[in-house]
Amino acid sequence: MKVETIMLAGDRSVRVYRIGKGAPLVWLHGPHGIRASDPVIAALAKNREVIAPLAPGFADADELDDIRDVRDLALHYDDLFEALDLDAIDLVGHSFGAMIAAEVAAHVPKRVRSLTLISPLGMWRDDDPAPDMFARPAAAMDQILWKDGAASAAMMNPADEPADPVEKAVATAQALTAVAKFLWPLPDRGLRRRLHRITAKTLVIRGADDALVPASSMEDLVAGISGAMRMTVPGAAHMVPYEALPDVAARIERHLTEIVLAA
Amino acid sequence: MKFHWFHLMPYPYLPEDFKERYPSVWVDPPANELYDPVKGHDLYHDYLDQLEFAEQCGYDGICVNEHHQNGYGLMPSPNLMAATLARRTSKAKIIVLGNSVALYDPPTRVAEEMAMLDVLSGGRLIAGFPVGTAMDTAYSYGANPTTLRDKYREGVELIVRAWKERRPFSFNGKYTQLRYVNPWPTPIQTPRPPVWIPGGGSIETWEWCVKNDFLYAYLTYFGYQSGLPVINGFWETVERLGAEMNPYRAGFLQFVGVADSDAEAERLYAEPAQYFYNRCFHVSPGYGNAPGYSSIATVRKGVLSAVGKAASELKGQALTWKEIVDKGCIVAGSPQTVIDRLNDMADQMRVGHVLLLCHFGNMSHETTLYNTERFARDVMPKLRHRFSDYEDKWWPKDTLPNIRQPSMPGGRRPSMAAE
Repeated sequence: MKVETIMLAGDRSVRVYRIGKGAPLVWLHGPHGIRASDPVIAALAKNREVIAPLAPGFADADELDDIRDVRDLALHYDDLFEALDLDAIDLVGHSFGAMIAAEVAAHVPKRVRSLTLISPLGMWRDDDPAPDMFARPAAAMDQILWKDGAASAAMMNPADEPADPVEKAVATAQALTAVAKFLWPLPDRGLRRRLHRITAKTLVIRGADDALVPASSMEDLVAGISGAMRMTVPGAAHMVPYEALPDVAARIERHLTEIVLAA
Repeated sequence: MKFHWFHLMPYPYLPEDFKERYPSVWVDPPANELYDPVKGHDLYHDYLDQLEFAEQCGYDGICVNEHHQNGYGLMPSPNLMAATLARRTSKAKIIVLGNSVALYDPPTRVAEEMAMLDVLSGGRLIAGFPVGTAMDTAYSYGANPTTLRDKYREGVELIVRAWKERRPFSFNGKYTQLRYVNPWPTPIQTPRPPVWIPGGGSIETWEWCVKNDFLYAYLTYFGYQSGLPVINGFWETVERLGAEMNPYRAGFLQFVGVADSDAEAERLYAEPAQYFYNRCFHVSPGYGNAPGYSSIATVRKGVLSAVGKAASELKGQALTWKEIVDKGCIVAGSPQTVIDRLNDMADQMRVGHVLLLCHFGNMSHETTLYNTERFARDVMPKLRHRFSDYEDKWWPKDTLPNIRQPSMPGGRRPSMAAE
C-alpha cells in the first residue's frame, strides 16, 4: 500500500493510502482507522484502485481544531477529492466512514456517483435507541462491535499496530476522540434532513446483529434516499465487512457493476 | 492553614444491595425509583444546618459543589445552596466549588449568579470553576467531551473579563457569541472574587492555574497519600513557571473523623465511611472517562481522571474500615492522631487550604455536628500556625465590615398576621 500526504488550504494535510489498479474507488474507514493489512481494502482492491484517506483526528488530534461540525467535515472531504481530481466517485464507507460518505453525498451530490454505506452511523430514533458506544472502557469496545464479542484473528493484533501498550492506548483514545467529536452524545447530526439531496445510486449493508445500527435506522436511511437498495447479512454485527467479507465484497462488486452498466 | 467545611450532600438511603442491583451511582441510577423527595426535604435542611453550624464553630469557609444525576451529590445547583447560606451566615467565606462553566450558555449567566452571591454575602464569595467530571458533563449533560475543556476555558476567561472590564464589550468566541457583554450586578470584590479551580491531575490545568493566578484544588476521595503525586506535579509546574511556591495557591480535600480515641472513631465513623466507599462510590467504569475528555498528552502520561481511575481501582472490592484508614482515605482517630496525620499532610503536600469532609456517606446529623465541633475545638487550633509566614492571596479581601443579617424592617410584622 502506498501512502502520500495531500496538502489542502488552511495548512490541512491528509494521509491517503492507495492500493490496486483499475478505476478508482474511495474507501472511508471505520473506527479502527487504516491498517496496511486491512482485509477489506485488499478485497476491494482486486480489480479497482482503492484510495483510502485517513479521517481527520486519527493521525493528529489537532487536525480537528478547525473542523468543528459535520458541515466542515463534509467540505473537508470535498476539498480533498478536488485535490485528488476525483469526480463521480464510487464511495464506500464503513461505520463512522459511512456517515461521512452519506454527508459528502448529501452536501456535494454531484461529486458522488455511487454510495455504499456499510453499518452506517448517523441516524437516531428515540423509540429504538442504540446502546452508547462510548460509555465503556476502550478495552471493552470489541464486545459491542463484533458478533462474537471479540475481534477476528486478522484484526486482533495486526502487525502494523503499535505494540507498545501506551501508544496503543493513545491511538485508541485518539480514534475514539475523532469519532466522538461528530457523534456525541447521539449519532445524529441532522443527516435525516439532508438525505433527500443524495442522488448517488445507494446500497446500504447492515449486519443483522449490529447493536449500534438498529434495523429501524437502516430502514429510515433506505426510505430517505431515492432508489436505495439494502442488504442484511445474517450472523454478523457492526464489523460486518470483516465478519462476512466474501458476501459483502461480492455484493459491492455487483452494485458497482450495475452502475457501470447503467452508465 | 485554613480549614473549610465541604458538603457533598449525599443521598443516605440507597438500598443495601445497591451495588448488586444498579450499575452506577452516577448518570443512570433511576431517580424516581431511588430518591424520596419527602425525605429529601429533611435532608436538605439538615445539610444546610450543618454548613451553618460549621460557621459557628469557626471554619474559615463553607463549601458547596456541583454534581448531576448523582446519588452522592444532591447539588445540581450549588448557587441555590450558596444563596441560602449567604443569608444565614455572616463570617465564613462561601466557597462555590463550583460551576461547571461549559454547561452554561452563555457563560455570563455564571458571571451574573456569582456576582449576585458576592453582593448578597457582602464580598464573601470564592468562585470555583471545575471542568466537571465526565459523568457530570459528557454523560449527564450531553456536553461534547472533545471540546469541553476548550469551551470551559473560553467561558472562564469570558467570565473573568466580564467582571474586570469597565465598559460593555463584544465577544466573538469559538463557543459563545455575544454582541453585548455587560452583566449586572458586579461583584463587591475587585477586580474579581478569588478563582479556585478544582481539577484532576491534568497537566494543562496546572499551567493554566499558575498563569492566571487561580488556586488549584485537588479533590480526590482517596486521601493525601494517594493524592501526593498529583500535588507534587502541581508544585513542579509552579516552580518551572517561576511562580511563588506559596502554599495558599493550592487546596486539598480530606475526609476526617475525630473522636475520643481511635477505637471510638471506628465506632462512630466506620459505617458512614463504608457507606460512602462501598455504596456511594460505585461508578460504572464506562462513565469514568469519555473520549477526548482527557487530552492526548494526559492520556500518554497515564494520568487518568481522578474519579475514573479510582472507580476502576475500587471495582468489585469492598473496603474495610482498616483499609480505609490505612490507605489514608479518611484521617480518623483521637485528636492527636488526626493532628499528627494532618501535620504529616502539611509537611508532604504544602497545601494551605484544606477542604474537610466532616460529613460523609450516611453519617447521622448528630454525629456530623459532633465531628464538626470536635475537629474545630481539638484539632484546628493546633494546625492554625502552619504556613502563617505566607500571605494568602487567594482569599477574599474586600469583605464588607458590616454584613447585613436577615431582619424584618423595624421589627415590624405584616398587619394581616393579626387579622
